[in-house]
Amino acid sequence: MATDALRERSWIDGHDLMFVADTQVVYHCHHFNLFFDQTIDDALGVEESSRLKSRAAREASRQLLLGLRKRLDLQTPAEVIRAAESAFAAMGHGRLHINVSAEGGEASGEYLHYGYSWKEKYGAVVRRSHPIDAFATGFIAATTEVAFSLDPGAIEAREIECIVSRAASRCRFLVYRTGERVQPAALTESDCANLLGSSFTGLDEERVSAIASGLKEFTAGVAGDDRGLIQAFGVFVTMHLASYYNRISFDAVHEMGKIDASLAANVEELLRESGRQCGFNTFGGILRSAEWESLVGPPRSDPKEIVTSCLGIARALGFGHWTLHEFEPGERIVVRTPATYETSFYRRTYGASSHPRCYILQGAMVAVAHLAHGVVWEESPSFDEALYQRLLHGTDNAWDWSMPTCHTCGDTFSEIVVTRRRS
Amino acid sequence: MQLQLPEITRGVERLRNVIITVMPDCLLYESWSRDGDQTANEEAASYLGDLVRANREALRVMRALSDEMQVTIESGGLLIILREIESSYVVGFVFESDVPLGMVRVQVRTMLARITEALPRFAVSESSRGERVLEFVERYAPDPHTVLLRVAVQARVPLDELRNPANLDGERMQRVERAVCTILGIDSLTL
Repeated sequence: MATDALRERSWIDGHDLMFVADTQVVYHCHHFNLFFDQTIDDALGVEESSRLKSRAAREASRQLLLGLRKRLDLQTPAEVIRAAESAFAAMGHGRLHINVSAEGGEASGEYLHYGYSWKEKYGAVVRRSHPIDAFATGFIAATTEVAFSLDPGAIEAREIECIVSRAASRCRFLVYRTGERVQPAALTESDCANLLGSSFTGLDEERVSAIASGLKEFTAGVAGDDRGLIQAFGVFVTMHLASYYNRISFDAVHEMGKIDASLAANVEELLRESGRQCGFNTFGGILRSAEWESLVGPPRSDPKEIVTSCLGIARALGFGHWTLHEFEPGERIVVRTPATYETSFYRRTYGASSHPRCYILQGAMVAVAHLAHGVVWEESPSFDEALYQRLLHGTDNAWDWSMPTCHTCGDTFSEIVVTRRRS
Repeated sequence: MQLQLPEITRGVERLRNVIITVMPDCLLYESWSRDGDQTANEEAASYLGDLVRANREALRVMRALSDEMQVTIESGGLLIILREIESSYVVGFVFESDVPLGMVRVQVRTMLARITEALPRFAVSESSRGERVLEFVERYAPDPHTVLLRVAVQARVPLDELRNPANLDGERMQRVERAVCTILGIDSLTL
């Protein structure tokens, strides 16, 4: 039931911004998610970061769950809890078992996206003693609030065991009342639409648009497997709540800005690195997949074709209406979009920004330049760490970016210019 | 006397590589490979140095440290013997694994004596602790290209200052070390 509701995605016409139950969602892979969350830990320290992330997750999840409760006409707390567990798994976040009353209780998790994929990616390299599943923590709190019709902020949860620590076999959570009341900052589809300028088209629009439509159709049928994970294109994919990413990234950057402007800029650079990892792993993984081959055909080493393919992918993932404005092979790529999933949230929550803050556009488009000009697609390369380092951090294919306009700054669209670096 | 590894290793069958690491900086001093390909030796030198250092710390804790400490590793068809020379150098001898251990010991002893005699006894100009800490984290952290940024953000030390780690004062150095421990998930650094 909840799985079906998640498939009823709506898109803001001409903007490629995706909503489920009036809540903005995007698709992101574990490489992006892990690096993004880690950046918030780096910026704020583990304790403050965990608090921010779990509260952001609660805020965003509450909006989703209220929407699902309404859409599915859920009447009892048990119905809400079961629907929440199903939705969580269908979105690729793993399996939750929530056992709560209006006063709190406990929950456990298996194959949780963050913990499980962290172990897969980093478990053999570094140790970690602090829990990682802040998103699940906030989701559990929101489930309890919505199930028992409690005020926003009334419930908090804490992860008391996490599989990233070698001793734990599953994740466990404590759920409890706080007595707090917070003002939720939900961004609905109409709120978002009201902040958007008019849409436009770009070069090779027909191709980009067709790719986006085909992929949207494909992803509409994708849901978590028995583990509650979506393993596709060589990555673990999640349907995620845009407000979660936006709240934690912008708050963390602002907090760092209070300490030192250069440190805030460092955090922004790390957020762009998340975007580069997304561009390389997710875009690259999709281009190399059997699904892509049946939808579009095998990728060829034609830079413009790779760029337009990636723009279609970005649209289908809910990143925004990325369009190709100018293209000079090997030299320069100019992409425009009326908005990204980050920009409307920023405008509504913080007002106009002093500088461009489309971190996903900035990071992913640099990765796209590398994919378009540094990969021999006919050789079917493995999208692994070695290729990532060679491609994005080698010396012979460096790209810079600038943004003359940005929706977060109050402009009617965002434009990124990616140019090859000349030494 | 000049160090001539081709001469020293001549006639030692099934010896693949000799890698000499300068300590405490874990930098490659000299190496020899039977097949002439030395591309991996520089990277391996750092890890072999760290390995001996970690081994020394473990033995110290167990009160079993001696001048004759030797690390022996068997893996992937290789037998690797690591020996220290006066805590200034670590020498790694990489053999095929089917060579009898007794034979290996004799050959290592002979080669080590000649290498020890040939190695210069200059006072090694030690890099600063800051430099060593940052080299260490860049060697072991995931996504090494982002490590300096991550340390800057965690330690609240501007990137420009991190690029000159020898100049970090005590308080900043402490914050940097804490950040490095957090990134690597370890309690303390033994450098």
